[in-house]
Order: sequence, then C-alpha cells, then structure tokens
Amino acid sequence: MPASSLNESDLGRLGLETPISRIDRELKKLWESDEAKTRASLINLAIYTEDSSFLAADNDLLDRVAAEHACRALLILALPEAQPPRARAWIQALCRPYQGRQAVCSEQISFVLEGGDAAQVQNIVFAHLDSDLPLVVWWQADLTKNFHERFYSRIDTLIIDSARWSDPSRQFDALLAAQREATARFDVRDLAWTRSHLMRTALAGCFQDAAALQNLSKLRKLTITHLKGQRMTALLLAAWINKRLNTTLQLELVEKDSGHALQSLVLEGVGLRGEVRRDCDSSFVHVCATCGQHEHKELLPADADSDAELVNEQLSRRGGSTLYSGMLPLIQAML
Amino acid sequence: MLENPFQETLLSRHRAEPCTVVIFGATGDLTNRKLIPALYNIAACGDLPPQFKVVGFARREKTDEVFRAELETGNRKNSRQGHNDELWDSFAQCIHYHRSEFEDPAGYVNLKLLLDQFDQERGAPANRLFYLASAPEAFKPILEMLRATGLNEGVGGKWARVVCEKPFGKDLVSARALNEVVNATFHESDTYRIDHYLGKETAQNIMVLRFANALFEPNWNSRYIDHVQITCAENLGMEGGRGGYYDTAGALRDMVQNHLFQLLSLVAMEPPTDLSADSVRDEKVKVIRALRPLVGPEAVGKNVIRAQYTAGSVDGVPRVGYRQEDRVNPESKTEPYVALRLFIDTWRWQGVPFYIRVGKQLPKKATEISVHFKKPPQVPFATSNLIKNSENTLVIRIQPDEGIALRILCKQPGQAMNMQQVKMDFRYSNSFGKASPEAYERLLLDAMAGDATLFARRDEVENAWKFIDEIEHAWHKAANPPPMHEYPAGSWGPKEADDLLRQDGREWRLL
Repeated sequence: MPASSLNESDLGRLGLETPISRIDRELKKLWESDEAKTRASLINLAIYTEDSSFLAADNDLLDRVAAEHACRALLILALPEAQPPRARAWIQALCRPYQGRQAVCSEQISFVLEGGDAAQVQNIVFAHLDSDLPLVVWWQADLTKNFHERFYSRIDTLIIDSARWSDPSRQFDALLAAQREATARFDVRDLAWTRSHLMRTALAGCFQDAAALQNLSKLRKLTITHLKGQRMTALLLAAWINKRLNTTLQLELVEKDSGHALQSLVLEGVGLRGEVRRDCDSSFVHVCATCGQHEHKELLPADADSDAELVNEQLSRRGGSTLYSGMLPLIQAML
Repeated sequence: MLENPFQETLLSRHRAEPCTVVIFGATGDLTNRKLIPALYNIAACGDLPPQFKVVGFARREKTDEVFRAELETGNRKNSRQGHNDELWDSFAQCIHYHRSEFEDPAGYVNLKLLLDQFDQERGAPANRLFYLASAPEAFKPILEMLRATGLNEGVGGKWARVVCEKPFGKDLVSARALNEVVNATFHESDTYRIDHYLGKETAQNIMVLRFANALFEPNWNSRYIDHVQITCAENLGMEGGRGGYYDTAGALRDMVQNHLFQLLSLVAMEPPTDLSADSVRDEKVKVIRALRPLVGPEAVGKNVIRAQYTAGSVDGVPRVGYRQEDRVNPESKTEPYVALRLFIDTWRWQGVPFYIRVGKQLPKKATEISVHFKKPPQVPFATSNLIKNSENTLVIRIQPDEGIALRILCKQPGQAMNMQQVKMDFRYSNSFGKASPEAYERLLLDAMAGDATLFARRDEVENAWKFIDEIEHAWHKAANPPPMHEYPAGSWGPKEADDLLRQDGREWRLL
C-alpha cells in the first residue's frame, strides 16, 4: 500500500510524532510534565494490523481497553508492500480520572511501518515492551509472512478474530501449525468465540430443569441468526452445541444486514424448544424454554459485543480455553 | 442426577444451580442496603442461577408489590452498578414476601408450601438457602422452626443451607449454645457463618500474596519479621442509632473476635494443603488456637488497652464523647477502642508480636495490615543518617484504596551516601479499571455454589470467643480490672496504646 493512502487525520490522533530512537526519552518527558498523572501497566498489549483503514478504530479501542486494563499499548500498522521503506512512531498517554484530581494513565506507542519485513516488526515490538510483563498480541492480519516463529514464540496470549478472516480454513491451518511448534507457548483467544459467550451461558439456563434435560436427545434442528460477516461466530456456536449434545443437528444459518453479531438461537425437537434472543435495542437476552406444558422465561444481561469489550473480557480471564482448543478440529470440518 | 451439557465446566467459577434464598428479617437494613443490591448485581453480571427466587420473611404485613417497591428504592441508592429498570423489572419478579412471626409454626408450614409451589413451577426441586439476617435472638426460634417443618432438609437430592449473620454469639457460652442449635438443624458443611471482611478483595488477596509469590513466604516468619500491625480505624461514632447495639458489644466483641481475628489468621496461617474450604479453615483455626492466652487482669492490663473517646473533633466537626452518644449508657463500661499485643505460640511466630487496634472516632477510616521486617543485621553505610522506622514494611490495605505497598530504603541521588525511604505502591483501582464486586456478592454466590472457604467454621468461632472471653472476664468480672482509658475524638487513640508499643521499642504506623 502506498504511503499516500494513509489518512493524515487518523495519524494525527495517534499523539505526538516522535523519532523511534527518542521514544523512551519522550515518554519520560510526558510523565515529568504533569505530576497529576500516574503511570500504570500490567501487560503489554500490541495490536498488529496491515489495514490502514483500521487505524482510527484500533486507536479508539486501545483507549477503551486501557481504561480497564492498565497496559503498555503498542499499535502497529505494517504496510509490507509500501515503498520506500519508512518507519514512523507516535506516543500518547491514555488517561482516566482517578479520585477527581489525579489521572491514571497507560502509555501508547504507535508505529507505521512501511516496507520492512518480519524481522523489523519483531524488533520494533521487542524493543518497546514494558519488561517483565506478559505480551498480549491481537493479530488482525492474516497469519502469514510477518507471523513468524521468532515473534510468536514470545507471545503469551494471541488474540484473533476468526470472523474477520476471508479464508478461515487456511488461517486455522496456520494457527494450528504455529501451535505445534515446540517454542510456541501462547494461549489463543478468538473474539468470534467470545462473542458467542452470552448465547452459550443463556443456553445453559434455558435447559436447566430436569424435564428439559431428559428430553435433550429429542432436539433435531438448530437455527442461528447472525449479522452479515459473523458466519464464523455462528459456526463456532453451532459446533459447540453439537459437541455438547454429542450429535449433529440440522443447521440453518440466517444472515441479517444489521443488529448484533448473534441475534437469536433456536433449538427445536419434538415437545421441546429453546430460544435465546437478543433484540436490536436491548442490552438483555431473552431466554424461553418450552418442555411439554412447562414454559420457563428468563432475562439475562447481554455481554457487550464491541471489539473493545470483547478484548476487555478476554483480558479479564486467565489461562487458555481448552474448550475452544477442543472445538478447532470440529470447526475445520464444518468450513 | 442429569448433567446439563451446556454448563461449561471450564468457567472460572461454578455457576450455582437453581436456588431459592429465604431471608429472615427481610425488612431490616441489611436486606435493603446489602443483600438485595448484592443479588441484583449478581444478576447484572449474569451470575445468578437460572430460575432463581428470593423470599423475604418478616413480621410486618405487606404484599409482594410493596416489598418489591421498597427494595427498588433501596437498590437505586445502594447498587454498585447502578439501577436498570428493565433488569430490575425482571429481577423483581423473582422476589416474594412472606409474612410471619419467627416463632409461629404455621408461618413455616406456609413457607414450605410456597417453596414447594416454586419447585412445581420450575418443574423440579431447587436448592434452598436460608439467610438469618434477623436480630441474633431470633436465630434460635427460626432454626428450631426450620427443623420442625423439615425445611432444613433438601428435597429431591437438592441441598438446604443456612447463612448466619454476625454477631455469632456474645461469648463462648452463647456461641456454643447457638452452634448446638445450628448443628442440630443443619450439618456443619451446610452452615455458612458470614464475615463480610473475608469477602473483600484484598482479604482474599492475602493468601495469593503469601502463597503464590516465592518472594514473601521464605521471609514470612520470626527470623525476618519484627512485628505485625493490624489497624481498623473508623472516623464515625454512634451515628444512626448504632449506640444501642454497640454499647452491649464493644470493639473487642464487635470487631476483634470476628473480622480482625480473620485477618490475623490469614496473615499468620501455614500454607494449606489445598484450597478446599476445610484445608484453609484448618490452618486458620490453628492460628487462633495458638494465640497465647491472656488470663487474669494483670496479663490483660499489660497487653490490652481499652478506651472511650471524649469530646473532640473529626475533620473539623465537633464530636461528643462516647458516653454522651445517643442510646449509650452514660455510665457505660463499653470500649469503642481497643489495642492488643498478641503472641502466636508456633515455631513460625515465636517472639513476634501482633499488635491489633480498632477504634471509633479516629482521624480517618482505614483498615490495613502492616508487616514490619527486621532491620538488616549490619548496614555497611554510615549509620548516622539511618532514619527512624527504616525497616522494610509491607502494607496490605484492606479498605479503602485497596492495594499493597512495600517500603524500602534507597540511596538519595548525590555525592553523599544518604538513604531515603521510598514506597512501591500497587493500587487495585489504578491497575484494574474494573470495580471489585461487593463482599456480599462474592459471599452470596459462594454460599449458593457451595464454597465455604470464606465463611467461619464452628471451631474458629468458638476458639476466638474462648480467647476473647478471658479479656472480657478481666475487664468486667475481676476485682481489680484494668482501667478504661480515654482519648479525644479525632486522635489516634489513648496515649496508653502508644505506650504499649513504645515499651517494646516500636510505634504504631501512621496511616
């Protein structure tokens, strides 16, 4: 991508442009200039993208994530095809008020790397980590080229969003290949999987009573309504339901142009029906289960499903999800 | 029993199964200010068990609707995450009111019918949690009635549990008597004696700090630790009519026997073999058992300072003396302040004093534990500039401003080898943007999920009372009781409490 396609107003929102060699000095100045700011950091959180149109959104996302998870934030836009090679950097403080007077701040360093290769990306990242803190990377690009063993072997948590992938099958292959490397130690957190969390939780409440549980084997059909572009999210949910029921239900996916990523889920069988529904304007999930004459209704809070909230949710959890890992072979068969 | 295949067993905590919570004393302040807001916030986090019900059991006549409306007002004021009308409307549907006297058998028969009716509506029996939030004197009749109606037994393979609010007795005799009634009604494993201090995030973090960090545990003993201070300061007195109850209890019974001994146990306990409730509580109770008894007025007078505040001011606001407070006996012998020097007779803690102080009308509200390490055996620098209290101190702030601070010495920049104290400070609110759940949220969820780790066990309670009784006896029954000291409201306590440490060459930490 040519450098000229970068939106200067997006770059202007990244903070103070700084020569890469002076980043540490400039950060120090930033903190010294205002005694009312307290720097806090629990993790290194890097976002790697190769799409300049995500720059502004990613910048906003880091601001929202840092409000809940104090971090050293790195935003890396790599444009491997751009010429001539050039590297630029910006710094800024991400602050939130604390006790009225003070502000607690995370620091963000943003890079635009035009040209360059995997080595440049890893060098830039490794040179600007807050030492001794875990490295969490949201890799938004395809898992090719710059997703190199020397890089991912240092990652503690790898965040992906398989719903964004244009070729999920190839990407899952690349992910599994990386995980098989002896040096790989990262946990994978798939935002598409996180997006289905509220549906999975609601479903557990839907079929809680004994009569419904006895009749689960009668379930035959699964209908999932999802937002356009969230097919992968729906497939992950379907794969999980099949796995939990140890069966293969007749699956119907309904795509909508607007609304939440997952909008409804209906499980049907003779004498048994369960529905989990999230209306467009509601922050709650309606659960309704019917078993024979017995009907059970419930209202549950819906998880927020913006990218920032999904990342926050993932950062609040510890340890990898063996549940998700166990799903991967199944999902590959469904693609 | 059928397993729900959609329950993800890999979630960080087990989601409780369908449950009905019956709150006795449901029209009281605790229900309005703490319990219902806690349950509402559990619902707001999506952690409430499916098909959940809560029944308020109290004497006053009112309908479900009136009860719900009263609780809604309370929730709007007290809910940690604010109040959402749509969620409240859904949550309120699970709230019911049941009017009965605590001693009326018919009331319990009707309660049973109501709970059975809920089970019928669910299509299956549910677990039952009985929460005793009434005045303590009502515990006995309530428990006896629960037993008489069979409500103490779970139905259809489900459990029935009881949660007891403090105070759990007022001395060893009454605690034992109450325990007899509780255990005649519920199995000890189904009995949850609540101490809300244990639900606080930092209190839970004490075990993590000690046992998950290799740095501290090797130094956590008499070889490296000089002494430990536990402070619970309040800048309030007897506002809101609290004097009536408080004057019958005092700081020792109201705070030390439960909250502060729980903190002491967490600081001093040995590592448990696992994190099961009984393993943790086994270790905690050993600490209480190992407390060196203070028997007789002389030992008590030497190691325990009691005091009442006189008129003074806090934050510039004039305050009356304790005996002039509303509903306090003008001749009161009750202590709103107590400071203790305790020793734990174990290998780990031999010779290490634990200083505890708790008081009303002190300059600020703060609860913290400070662990004071010994000074290095030899400091290879000019000793002339070694500052007072230069030992390393680890401070665990329980409330407010939860966090951990470590005080160390550093060289001051410059040509001279001057040392300066610096503080490494971790604050929950700085590092974690998300607010911690209220203690009652955590404890209610634990009780529903069957995790008793953060609840006091019978032997913990009784051993604590056994120790406390000796002091109370010396104060109130001895011929020559240790004196009641005084301190002006707004000061850090009586001079005699300062002397308690000064005679050991130490001083209270300035909070």
